[in-house]
Amino acid sequence: MTVHDMKHAASDSARLEAVGGRLSRVDGPAKITGAAKYAFEQQLEGLTHAVLVGATIAAGKVTAIDARAAETAPGVLAVLTPDTIMELRGASDWLGNPPSQPTYAPLVREVTFSGQHVAAVVAETFEQAVAAAALVKVWYDETPAIVDLSDGKAGDGIPIDAMTKEWGDAEAAFAEAPVRICAAYNTPREFQAAMEPHGLIARWEGDELTIWEPSQWLDGMARTYAEWFGLPFENVRLVSPYIGGGFGSKALALAHSAVAAAAARMLDRPVKLVLTRPQNFTSYGGRAATRQTVAIGADRDGKIQSIVHRGVNETAVDGMWVEPLGSVTSIMYATPNFSSKQNVVRVNTVVPGAKRAPGENPSAFGIESAIDELAYELGIDPLEMRLINYAEQDPHAKKAWSTRQLREAFAAGAEAFGWAKRSNAPRSMRDGRQLIGWGVAAGTYPVRRAHGEAVVKLLSDGSVEVESSSIDMGQGTYTILAQTAAETLGVPVERVSVKLGDSHFARAGVTGGSRLAGVMTGAVHKAAGQALDELIGLALSDPRSPFQKLQANTLQVRDGRIASPRGEGPDLSIADFMMAIGRDQIEAKGDTLPASTTPEERYKNYTTIAMSIPHTEGDYSRHSWCAHFVEVRVDEDFGTVRVSRVVSALDSGRLYNPKLAESQWKGGIIMGIGQALLEEGIVDRRHGRIVNGNFADYMLPTNADIPDIQTISVGIPDPHSSALGGKGVGELAIVGIAPAIANAVFHATGKRVRDLPITLEKLI
Amino acid sequence: MNDQVTISPTTLSLNLTINGRTQALEIEPRVTLLDALRERLHLTGTKKGCDQGQCGACTVHVDGERVLACLTLAAQVEGRSITTIEGLAGEDGTLHAVQAAFLEQDAFQCGYCTPGQIMSAVACIREGHAGSDEEIREYMAGNLCRCGAYPHIVAAIRQAAQELRS
Ligand code: FES
Ligand code: FES
Repeated sequence: MTVHDMKHAASDSARLEAVGGRLSRVDGPAKITGAAKYAFEQQLEGLTHAVLVGATIAAGKVTAIDARAAETAPGVLAVLTPDTIMELRGASDWLGNPPSQPTYAPLVREVTFSGQHVAAVVAETFEQAVAAAALVKVWYDETPAIVDLSDGKAGDGIPIDAMTKEWGDAEAAFAEAPVRICAAYNTPREFQAAMEPHGLIARWEGDELTIWEPSQWLDGMARTYAEWFGLPFENVRLVSPYIGGGFGSKALALAHSAVAAAAARMLDRPVKLVLTRPQNFTSYGGRAATRQTVAIGADRDGKIQSIVHRGVNETAVDGMWVEPLGSVTSIMYATPNFSSKQNVVRVNTVVPGAKRAPGENPSAFGIESAIDELAYELGIDPLEMRLINYAEQDPHAKKAWSTRQLREAFAAGAEAFGWAKRSNAPRSMRDGRQLIGWGVAAGTYPVRRAHGEAVVKLLSDGSVEVESSSIDMGQGTYTILAQTAAETLGVPVERVSVKLGDSHFARAGVTGGSRLAGVMTGAVHKAAGQALDELIGLALSDPRSPFQKLQANTLQVRDGRIASPRGEGPDLSIADFMMAIGRDQIEAKGDTLPASTTPEERYKNYTTIAMSIPHTEGDYSRHSWCAHFVEVRVDEDFGTVRVSRVVSALDSGRLYNPKLAESQWKGGIIMGIGQALLEEGIVDRRHGRIVNGNFADYMLPTNADIPDIQTISVGIPDPHSSALGGKGVGELAIVGIAPAIANAVFHATGKRVRDLPITLEKLI
Repeated sequence: MNDQVTISPTTLSLNLTINGRTQALEIEPRVTLLDALRERLHLTGTKKGCDQGQCGACTVHVDGERVLACLTLAAQVEGRSITTIEGLAGEDGTLHAVQAAFLEQDAFQCGYCTPGQIMSAVACIREGHAGSDEEIREYMAGNLCRCGAYPHIVAAIRQAAQELRS
C-alpha cells in the first residue's frame, strides 16, 4: 500500500495527519480508481476455476453421485466428490481446542443443511466450470429436517451453563414487584452479506501453500490450512490486501476454502473458487435466530427491582454457536436482582457465526424494548426511565466502569434530536396520513483487548514502512496506523506507507470484536517509538553522526528532520542523516506482549483467541456506549415504516480518526435499520432451504431507505482500554438501533412489534 | 436436464473498445462483459457482487449509459464504447470530480461497491438526476453498499454535481 493522495489534507496537514485528525483514507485513491486488487483478483499463470455443487436436501445421505457427464464436458479438469477428494486432517478450532475428528471432509456424504457442499468441478474457465457443475447428478436419501427454531421437532435445546448470570433472588423479587412487564422478543436468521463474496485462490509450490483470500484473521486462517495439510505454519502464506467487507464472516477458513486448496494440491494448478451469491447464504453462518423473554419488576417510581431473562439461539446439528443473549441485559441497568439463562437449539443449518456485535445486538433488542415497555406501563418518559435506572458501576462484575459517557450521550443526543418537544402518548404526533414516532435506545459493546506486533522501518530516503499481518476491511487500519507511525516518529504522514494483509508480515490476531485499532495502534506506537529511540541513539553516539559533537542528551524529530530541542547545531533530514552514518534502514519490531512470553504463547496469541484479555480484568469494566434517537414515519393506511431521522451520540473513547469512525458508526446504524425493517432469512418448511438467498429477496437497505444520520462523539480517552485511549468503534453503533426503531414505531402507532423485522403486515 | 448435453466449444473473435483502447478477445459467446473484463482483460476494478443484476457493483458505462456488466454479454457490446472505473480519471491521473468527492466525503469503507457507485454516480449526474438529495437517493438505489456509506455517497454526489455545473 503505497498510494497516497494528500491533496485534501494540504490545508492543515499537521492537524489532519496526527492521531485524532480527520485524514482521508490513505487507501482511498486505490479504491476509487479501481487499482486496489482484492485478494482473489490476483492474476496467476495457469489459473483454473472451481464451482461447488450444494446439497438440495437439509438432512440425509448422499447415496450416489454421477459425475460422468461433467467429467467429459469441455475444459473440465476434475470433478471432486466425497470419494475422490484428498483426505485432510482435522484442525483445531479458533479457541485452540484440538480437533474432534482426526480427518476433515469438506465435501460430505452426510448432509446436515441445505446447500452443504457435496461436489466441486474444476475447469479451465469459469464458464466451463459453471456449465459442468450443472451436469453433476446427486441422489439422496432424505430424512426429516428441523428447519428452524419454530419447528415442532426443535425442542427446548441444551442449557449453556457458562451463560448463566445471577445475583439476588430474581424470581422472588419479580413476583413481589408492584409493577411488572414480561414479553418475548425474537430476531430472525440474518446475514452479513458483505458485497465481496467469499472466495479464494490457492496455489501450491512444492510444500508451500499460498492463499489469496479475503480474511479478517490471516494468522488464524493460515494455522487452519497448515493443520488441514499437515504443514508447518510457516509454509502457509495468506494474502489479503483489501477485504470487501466482512462483518464477522471472514475470520475462519471454511469448507469451500478447504475444497479449493485440496483441488489445487490434487491438480498441481492454482485454483480460484468464489462462492455464488446464493452460496454466500449457505456456506457460512449468519447471525443465529434468537428468542428471548425479558421480565422486569419495578417500583412505582420506575426503579428496577428485578430482571429475569431467558434466551435461546439456534445452532447447527454438527456445530456449536452461542450468541450471548444476556450480555447487554446484565450490564445496562442497575438492579438488585438478576437472572439470565440461555439454551441453544440444534436445527439443520450451517453453523451460525459472528455478525456485527454478536450477542450484544439481539440482547439489546430485548432489554431496550423491555425498558421502553416498562416506561409506558408507568407513564414515564423512556429517556427519563433510563436515567432513573442508570448503572453507576458494572452491575454484574461489580466493578467501576473504566469510562462510561452514556449519560453524556443521552444528553447530547436528546439535545440535538429535540427530544424535549416529544409528546409521550402513542399516536400523538402526525403529519397528514403519516404517524410520527420518536424512539430512544442505548447500546454497548465490550472493549476486547489482545496483543499485537508490528514492524516499523525507517528507510534511507527518510520514508517509513509499517508492516503487519492485520487487515483493513474498511475500518481504516491503513490510515490510522500511518497516522500513528507519523506522529510517533515525527515524519509527515505521506512519507509513511503501511503494508497489511500478508501473513508473512509481523503477526496479528483476529480483526473482530472491534479490537484491532486499539491493539495495532498500540503495537505501531511501540515499534515506532523503538525505531525513534534507535535513530536518536545513533544520532547522539555514532562517530559519523554530525550531532555527536553536540554532546546533547537528546534530540527531536519533527517533520522528518532531526535537530536539538534547543535549536543549536545541525538540522538534518532523516535521509541526510542516514546517508551521513551510512545506514540503509533502521528496523524495529514492537509488540505489546510481556517480555517473558514464550514462542508457543506468541503463536497461540496470534492464531487462536485463547489469550484475549477479559474486558473486566483488574479493577475496571470496559465498554463503549451509545444512545440512539430515531424518528419514524408510518403510513397509517399501508403500515410502511420509513426511518426519517437518526441522531446517535457515541462513546468510543478517543477517536484515532473521527472521519473514519463516523463512517463506521453510520454503517452500523444503517445495518441496524436493515435489521429492524428488512432483513430476514426465510426458510422453506419442506426442504429446510433458505429461499431468499440473494440480494433481491434478502433485502439490504438501499440508498433510498436511509435518511440523514447525525453522529456525535461524546467519548473521552480511556487509558484502561488501550494504549492511546480508544475503545471499540465498528460493532458499537448497530447495538440499540433495532429497539430504538421498534420503540419509535410503538410511539407512532401504539403497536409493539417484538418480532423483527418490523414489516407492514405486523402493523395493519 | 439431458445427460447428453454437449457444450459447444465455439469461440468468438471480438474487438472491444474499453477506455478508448480496442482489444481483441477470443471468448465463448456465453462470457459476460463482467467476466471478460475481470478474468480476460484483468480489469478488476469492476466488481462482482452478485452476478445476478441485483447489486450494482459491476456498473460500467456503455456509450455513456450505466449498464450492469454481469447482465451483459461481452458479445453484445462489440463496437460500442465501454468505460470502466479504470478509465474515469484523466490520462495524467487527475481524478474525476466524482472520484475526488468520494475521497473527500469518505463515501466508502471497504471499497468493494465503490467503482460501481462511482460509475453510477457519474451517470446519475449526467442524466440530470442529482438535483436534490431525495433524487440522488432514488437514482442511486440500485447500487448496494453493505458498509453503509449511503449518506456520504449522497454528500459526494451533491458536491460533485455542483462542481461539474460550475
Ligand atoms: S454483480 Fe452485477 S449487479 Fe451485482
Ligand atoms: S464500501 Fe463496502 S460495500 Fe460499499
